[in-house]
Amino acid sequence: MIGYRPGDSPLHRAHPYTPLALAAALLLAVFAFGSPGAVGAAVLAAVVLALAGGVLGYTARPALALGLTTWVLLLVLHGLLGPEPFVAAGPLHVSAAGLRRALVLGGRLTAILVAFLTVLAVVSPARLVDAMTDRGVPFARMYLLVSTLTLVPRLRARAAQVLEAQQCRGLRLGGSPLARVAALGPLVLPLVLGALAEVDEQVLALDARGAGRPGRRTALDPPGDSALQRTVRWAALLLAAAAFAAKFAGHAL
Amino acid sequence: MSAPLLRFAHVTYRHAGALAATLVDVTLEVSPGEVVALAGAPGAGATTFLLVAGGFAPRLIGGTLEGTLHSAVAWPGIVFAAPWTQLTGLCQTVLAEVAFGPAGLGLPRAAVRAAAEHALERLGVLHLAPRDPATLSGGELQRVIVAAVLAQEPDLLLLDDPAAELDPAGADALYALLPDVAAAGAAVLVATPDTERAARVATRAVRLDGGRVVADGAPAAVLTDTPAARIARAAGCPAPLPLDADALVARVAR
Repeated sequence: MIGYRPGDSPLHRAHPYTPLALAAALLLAVFAFGSPGAVGAAVLAAVVLALAGGVLGYTARPALALGLTTWVLLLVLHGLLGPEPFVAAGPLHVSAAGLRRALVLGGRLTAILVAFLTVLAVVSPARLVDAMTDRGVPFARMYLLVSTLTLVPRLRARAAQVLEAQQCRGLRLGGSPLARVAALGPLVLPLVLGALAEVDEQVLALDARGAGRPGRRTALDPPGDSALQRTVRWAALLLAAAAFAAKFAGHAL
Repeated sequence: MSAPLLRFAHVTYRHAGALAATLVDVTLEVSPGEVVALAGAPGAGATTFLLVAGGFAPRLIGGTLEGTLHSAVAWPGIVFAAPWTQLTGLCQTVLAEVAFGPAGLGLPRAAVRAAAEHALERLGVLHLAPRDPATLSGGELQRVIVAAVLAQEPDLLLLDDPAAELDPAGADALYALLPDVAAAGAAVLVATPDTERAARVATRAVRLDGGRVVADGAPAAVLTDTPAARIARAAGCPAPLPLDADALVARVAR
């Protein structure tokens, strides 16, 4: 499941910027890495991050669901249609360079997915808001980020409500693939229209409650930070920057 | 009498893309200390009137405004019928939700917390402070939303059918709060089909029909100025008068 999972892991207790910085560093580094080995290490680091957050079980399923199709496509396209020389892999002959390329691209995707889903699972949106408010981040920027992070869970909850309502009105979900596709209409249309109507009222409510007011907001319960966490954050980002610098200097890992 | 907070002079408002105006030639004044009940059939223009009065229309929702609207409102607060759409979506506790407004004033943390707790106490929901807003019932949530709006001490409080989600006791408590808000110097505009409760607390009532003000005066007169009430009055029925056809039939059947 995608979204925040309450917990008591070190990542849950950490300042929200710490898991965000670690994931961001991983995301940057993985694009600097060019070999399957280095990208594999990045995937491993993302898995370690998920383990540290105690959310590997939650992130693995959506990561697989989202990444599997791309992995298959990458392996087929690059493996079978890549440049020569071809090597035997069971009954198939596959391009060694193409396979290498597929592993790098698929590994990048997997590392990003696992890291991103981990951040979603361990960073409480409310704590993130308090952390950003405490640092004086403008409300509009904060709202944009947090809305993005909470979009999937909110849409999922709304979709469940719409689905229940439509089933009460006789919508049947089973049957042929064509019938299943046809059943999407009564689900998607109210979902989108309802979300748009809700946005209108929420804009008014937020405006009336001073969301657009200039000046610094007060954080009600800012999360604690520490020198160690700040060091970890900066070190992770500097390492990612160093990986990029190495790539542009022609020493890609 | 203090200076008017709002002065509508021949105001006509048309929603973006609408062919007909939702408010037509509205002329009236609202002063601090007043509790004004807005009555009218659905579609009469009461919600739009609130949006224009609060400066939300056309500023945020578009549309065109003709006529003159003088507003001395510094901070309008608005409450809609459905509480779910009024959550910020950024807060994990009720206390944080209510503190959202005061937190924008840059007050010290203790002052923000005190303002939020005081507002929750006024609505009788202080015990909900540590709860996640997403876990509340509709009635609880609506009281939290009203507390959130009151926490920032608006000088114009706009309520659009605020008791739609409340049980009778909750609705009574909410309406009973309005004179206190007005006594503190704010003006209160409440659009509601609940004319009985509105009549108890309003200092004045305005009836809208097709976007026009068709009656403006004492609540007892304006809120009971419906065809059913007129028939009942003519027939010599004692107060409270039935306000719609069903209530009239029930009264006659007795």
